[in-house]
Amino acid sequence: LAAAEQEMEMVTDMFARINDLCYKKCLLQRYNDEELTKAESVCADRCVAKYFQVNREVSDKLAKYSQANQ
Amino acid sequence: MFNNYGASYQEQRMQQLMEQKQMRDFMRMYTTLVARCFDDCVSDFTSNTLNDRELTCTNRCTLKNMKLNERIGQRFAEESAKLMEDQAKMAQ
Repeated sequence: LAAAEQEMEMVTDMFARINDLCYKKCLLQRYNDEELTKAESVCADRCVAKYFQVNREVSDKLAKYSQANQ
Repeated sequence: MFNNYGASYQEQRMQQLMEQKQMRDFMRMYTTLVARCFDDCVSDFTSNTLNDRELTCTNRCTLKNMKLNERIGQRFAEESAKLMEDQAKMAQ
């Protein structure tokens, strides 16, 4: 139960970070309109995709580094 | 020892935790949004009430960020699913 709770917290934390970072990187014109522009929408999609990719890269490198240093 | 409580207690407890968590997450999102829109929209302190520009900006900011949040949520769910799939494959 505690482990599941911890995992949920990690997921929420990750989502909050992505939200904050992609907001900073993608919502550049604030705020001419109440709709997301096409550019902002596409940016958000790519932002999330790249974040996860960075996540994978970092995980892989970290694992290899830890292995090599044991 | 934990099994004395049975599955239904654990389910109930899990349900409770999830509800509390949802409340907390909502509050966090709300306070973040307020701070964000204040930061982005308000800079005129010749008065203690929001002027028209600031009001409009605040409305747009709220809506726009809610929509961004939704969009990110959709992509996040997709990417998370992919990630879990990859992890499952690696574990095999």
